[in-house]
Amino acid sequence: MKIICYLGTGGVGKTSVAAATALAVARTGKRSMVMTTDPSLRLRTALGLTDNITEQRVPLDDPKAGELWASLLNVRATLDEAVRLYAKNSTSDRILNHSIYATIAGSLAGMQELMAVERIDQLIQQGFDHIVIDTAPSRHALEILDKPELFANISGSRRVQLVGRTYQLAAGLGLTAIGRGAVDIVGRVESILGVHLVRQILDFYSLFYPIAEGYSKRAQKTVAMLRDPAVTEFRVVTTPQKALRDAAFFTDALNKRKFRIGAFCVNRAWLHPYPDTVPRGLAGEVLDWYKTVSDAHRKEIWKLKQGYAGQAREVQVFSELDQDVDGVRALEKLADQMHLQAPAGLA
Amino acid sequence: MDPQARIMVVCGKGGVGKTTLSLAFGLKHASEGKRVVIVSSAPLDELAISVSLEGLGRRCPVAARNLFVVHLDPRELLTEVVKKHFPVPLLARTILNSSLFANLIAIAPGLKEFYFLARLQQLAERRRTAAGADGPDYDYLIWDAPASGHFLSTLRAARAFETFLSGPLAAAGAELDRFFSNSANMQILAVTPLEEMAIAETIEMTQALQGDFGLQCTALILNLVSPLFSASEQEMTRLKTASEESAAFRFALARGRSERARGAEVAAAIPAPQVTIPRIRHWDGDLDLLDQIGQWLTLPEHRAGEKPQPA
Repeated sequence: MKIICYLGTGGVGKTSVAAATALAVARTGKRSMVMTTDPSLRLRTALGLTDNITEQRVPLDDPKAGELWASLLNVRATLDEAVRLYAKNSTSDRILNHSIYATIAGSLAGMQELMAVERIDQLIQQGFDHIVIDTAPSRHALEILDKPELFANISGSRRVQLVGRTYQLAAGLGLTAIGRGAVDIVGRVESILGVHLVRQILDFYSLFYPIAEGYSKRAQKTVAMLRDPAVTEFRVVTTPQKALRDAAFFTDALNKRKFRIGAFCVNRAWLHPYPDTVPRGLAGEVLDWYKTVSDAHRKEIWKLKQGYAGQAREVQVFSELDQDVDGVRALEKLADQMHLQAPAGLA
Repeated sequence: MDPQARIMVVCGKGGVGKTTLSLAFGLKHASEGKRVVIVSSAPLDELAISVSLEGLGRRCPVAARNLFVVHLDPRELLTEVVKKHFPVPLLARTILNSSLFANLIAIAPGLKEFYFLARLQQLAERRRTAAGADGPDYDYLIWDAPASGHFLSTLRAARAFETFLSGPLAAAGAELDRFFSNSANMQILAVTPLEEMAIAETIEMTQALQGDFGLQCTALILNLVSPLFSASEQEMTRLKTASEESAAFRFALARGRSERARGAEVAAAIPAPQVTIPRIRHWDGDLDLLDQIGQWLTLPEHRAGEKPQPA
């Protein structure tokens, strides 16, 4: 079993690279799954993922190929499922209908990654050989690896839960020794945030905390696997223009966590061969424009290879495809480039 | 450029060049001696991913003196609020250090966005009130906005506060909502390359800005554009029949055609003046890149829909 986790900033084509990797792996006869967060409409169509279908087997022409599956990470749906799984029937309804609940799925930092961890756990149990993950373009993508208990931390401590339960009682009956300090603070925060909001949050905490706790415990197992270099490989997707800065940022972020980068994938490079003689007129102008952009791309890729040679196992370079190459065909072309350049990464 | 427009908002999908364009615009005016403040909600080390201002002091001291890149950290703002509320330092510290406070803040819906907007408004107001007296603190205030989804939810935070709460914060939420829904305060500059995903997201974003906040797109900045984008139809037909067979040429031609189609699509959906930034040919350093983009980046006059609201 192997997990490949793609990291990268926005707009570099991370989702396409992830999907093409899963395709390249499937072509070697394996059963692979790509888990994406925010695919473009045409990639979604290519993978057969529509609003109603969040998991789908993608048909492949090659009879020798294994299986390619695609899965769309739906944060809200995964969280709903977790609530139903970990909460008692009576509380799960109260949580799902709580006015605070709707906002936390989208707004809590790291929620996307935690839900991804939950899905990875499910996928492992379904027996996939290779799982390719396309992370959200944010710095939080790595935070989950620091501390799986983060979720329980951000969603409330026992103390908060206690305050939530005892608050109204304590406020009515006079303060108990346990609650005094905390209730005092709640009172003061109320004067800043308003009574209504604070009470709603406290009420929500007291319901939600047991779920967060159960969830975190489970996440720890999966996160341990993500931390295991024998199982998980991190790859950074970038573009020629962003390559050096992305390399600096992600090398630093991953080194801090004692991870090694499997590969830098420089995507959307302009490396098409051009003729020795340039024609006149607009055609010549266009070629000249292409050549200068392309030369700059080559130069940046060269700098990346020089500067970060020791930081990653390899540097992969993928040519940008024509805009009219579409759907599965586009993934196939990208996967072809992977077979040529990095067959080791598909083993 | 209408000096009355409070905030220039540079917005669009992630990775389309918002930070680069903000800096290019800022640098251009800062080197002319104008004071420019660029505000971002992303920490500065993340901004450095996109582009670097290294060496600016040596190369253009005037610009270095006048260009300010500010990260508004909501947590710092909240700390200020607590300190203001509880002037006794020990009390303020007790609250700030309590895990209870940290947890309440982390989960309060939209709180961080709310304080970000409040601070941005403060900055915008400062310019206006100071204008009569000793002259403005700065000439341009640029908001290098987060990627469109987060940008819209930041704007919605003020409205959510108005409905979520009662009391002083609700009133503040209503005021912020009024401020950020006023087209005289917000000069919307939507940035997009001529690519499918970015175009779709930009159209969606401008529709939400118009529908939910009454904000019109002031200018559409088409970034990373190919030279074929502005070629005539005859020229395109001639190129098609040209007996040019290199892969590079075929790629460039296909790209040009596709950009023209996307351009037509976006022009039909977003009726705003367009500014075209060509895909840069080469970049020796980030400052060269910013200088070059700055030269292309001439914005159309801002048509203020209404008068600025009194504070």
